[in-house]
Amino acid sequence: MKAEANKSFNLSRFSKKYMMEIILFFIALALCFTAPGFFTIGNILNIFRNVALAGVISFGMTMTIIGGEIDLSVGSSIALSAVLTATVTGALAKAGIMPMESAVFVGMACALVVGLLIGLFNGFIRTKFNIPTFIITLAMLNVIYGSAALISRGFPVTTLPDWYNWIGAGRLFGTFPVPALWLLIVFAIVFVIMNLTRFGREVYAVGGNPESARLSGINVSKVKIIILVAVQVLAAFSGIILSAQVMSGSSTFGRGYEMDVISAVIIGGTSLFGGIGKVWGTLMGIVFLGVINNGMTLFGVGDFEKYIVRGLLILFAVLFNTIQIQSLQKARVAK
Amino acid sequence: MSVLNVRTVTKVFPGTTALDSVSLGFESGRVNALIGKNGSGKSTLVKIINGVYQPDAGSLDIDGEKLGFTNPADAFAKGIATVYQEMSLIPGLTVAENILIGRYETNGPFVDWKKTYAKAQGLLDEMGIELPLRELVVNLNVWQCQVVEIVKAMSCRPKVILLDEPTSALAQHETQVLFKLIRELKKKDVIIIYITHRLQELWEIADTSTVLLDGKLTGRVEMSGAQPRDILKLMFGDVEVKSRPADLLISPETILDVRNFTRSPWFEDISFNLKKGEILGIAGMLGSGRTELLRGIFGADRADSGTVVLDGKTIASPSPTRMNKEGLAFTPEDRKTQGLVQTLSIKANLCHASLDKVAPGGFVDRSLERSFAERQVAALDIKTTDIELPMTSLSGGNQQKVVVGKWLNASPKVIFFDEPSRGIDVNAKQQIFQIIWEQSRRGISSVVVSSELEELIEVCHRIIIMRLGRFVGEVRPEDVTIEQLYSLCMGGDEQ
Repeated sequence: MKAEANKSFNLSRFSKKYMMEIILFFIALALCFTAPGFFTIGNILNIFRNVALAGVISFGMTMTIIGGEIDLSVGSSIALSAVLTATVTGALAKAGIMPMESAVFVGMACALVVGLLIGLFNGFIRTKFNIPTFIITLAMLNVIYGSAALISRGFPVTTLPDWYNWIGAGRLFGTFPVPALWLLIVFAIVFVIMNLTRFGREVYAVGGNPESARLSGINVSKVKIIILVAVQVLAAFSGIILSAQVMSGSSTFGRGYEMDVISAVIIGGTSLFGGIGKVWGTLMGIVFLGVINNGMTLFGVGDFEKYIVRGLLILFAVLFNTIQIQSLQKARVAK
Repeated sequence: MSVLNVRTVTKVFPGTTALDSVSLGFESGRVNALIGKNGSGKSTLVKIINGVYQPDAGSLDIDGEKLGFTNPADAFAKGIATVYQEMSLIPGLTVAENILIGRYETNGPFVDWKKTYAKAQGLLDEMGIELPLRELVVNLNVWQCQVVEIVKAMSCRPKVILLDEPTSALAQHETQVLFKLIRELKKKDVIIIYITHRLQELWEIADTSTVLLDGKLTGRVEMSGAQPRDILKLMFGDVEVKSRPADLLISPETILDVRNFTRSPWFEDISFNLKKGEILGIAGMLGSGRTELLRGIFGADRADSGTVVLDGKTIASPSPTRMNKEGLAFTPEDRKTQGLVQTLSIKANLCHASLDKVAPGGFVDRSLERSFAERQVAALDIKTTDIELPMTSLSGGNQQKVVVGKWLNASPKVIFFDEPSRGIDVNAKQQIFQIIWEQSRRGISSVVVSSELEELIEVCHRIIIMRLGRFVGEVRPEDVTIEQLYSLCMGGDEQ
């Protein structure tokens, strides 16, 4: 009798814990039977390729949000990174310092370093003056877009070598999209950091209760600066992938990407209040967004409708999480 | 004249009887002080009078007219106003806007500011107070805020006004302004109930003092002609003072030496030392600077000057990260907001101060992490079925043990305990003391701050006394009674 009660409790716990995965499975299953061409290797890989740009950043955003911060400027950082890579590459090649094929490495390095510096700057303002990152990065969003536009003078920069296209549009063994590879690599790295390292433990502690973390001897400022740098560097990386995909860098890139990134993190069950969240959940969130988008495309749903659906998804995800957390708390109180 | 009668009120919480058949009366036109040490039941009685709690048995009435409240708003509507020590004012509004909030004079859909300010001025005149009505509350002093609170409460013409430690955050000269206002209130036929922990104030402001101890009424004293020792006797009763186990030895070796430590205005020029294995108590009233001193030495707040020498090493600028490395632990007074991360598991919390040990080289050794957590669960007898459960699944006493366990995992040389027994039951309290003694046996020293003086007398080898941020004396627990220690903490000439 008791064992049975135990078993049913575990079943409900299982379904609660893996609700996201279960819903995703049933939506995918439904699409298999209803959407023409959904269940093909080509389409599935396509979904991964499509979500890679936002996905790469979303893992950095997961760290940031678990750590109690947020970065709204990642969309603009995609643009700046793409513009910088192409501009630096073009300048070096034009000056005859090195051929475009190798100059692009310097271009990419510049983009990543600038991402790092922006992250450091955000982190410095955050920890030194105690200004919410919500405000800092909202301001930076404009500064970065403006910088990207200034550098590119408003035109797409296309000085990039042919091989570079592989980073954004190549296929491993002729099938597996390279951007999806980046997505999985970044997922693996962030998963290890958040689950297996000291730093991961510190991020959870700082996001859950910064004062308690500080009084336990954790360097709260350092943790906050590192997560803000991580999300910016990943945004720069995403900008490199995008510029490689379309073989140009433009200040119009990345508009609105922050919404996709943050949506994926929230749908994946990370709490906007910090301290709670899973890297795995974000992977599910990003795939979920990709599947819904793909399904809508296959059904011929228009872009305007897609916006509405995506907006409602975020709302439902937050509602769902909040209700789940509240019900957990009630269960605890009842105990 | 009217009388608020409390008739055989009983209130039981799981594990304790907070009020045990208490009957008393509070008369209007007088200042009725309500006193008692922590856990005496005075806050519970206040919360029953203002509708936060409902009594399990017994009743309240004013002049025979029965009072029954379902919640504080209901009590307020029926004429019970409460002025809490923590402020309920809105900093961005003006004094007048705060006083009359929700009750502005209107002209159609618009607020008639002229009339509203006139009305507020009328209230001030009535009570003989001067306040800048157009000033934003954010620009006021603490005492001015306290006065605004009282005017706001009085503007609703209550039958009963409860003043909960109104002077606790005020300096000496500021309390005088407040007392003048309270004396003014006495003319208004309102029942004033004044809760305080500052005994010396009683002779100045109170007409009668009602004393509670362990949920029972122990006495009612007319302040004219009352002696301090009468009141102390009623507050503490005949306590059986337990003493620490006899086997706790102090080694001659000094482990912590604090010299001329200053952080104005909290504490000034504090020097003391601590021997290996010693348990040192710091006694003092709220606001004496005892908590700030611990936080300053630990580096949680930056001190102005002074030196800290820990185990022979001079530490120039203490920070929590540094002090953790050097072997100093600190369990803060508020475990919920400062000691624990409530969103995380018991296991995660138990490892927060020892991450360098469970993650050598930056990667967490999961089996080591588990064993660190399980070690403390076993050693401290933390009652849980699974260390992966969230903190919120634990009772207060067990949460406190997690805070202590977190620090024991860091293998400290000295542990600071700030109010280690706050909000936990008697058994858990004894267990915490056992833990402190056990550390002493292992050569780990402790500094204990507690507002429960009998605890300090029970637990410590030596007690230093702080008053208004200064070191004023040192006693051995064997040599003092609680009443004597209390008098020393309060200062003045009660002896």
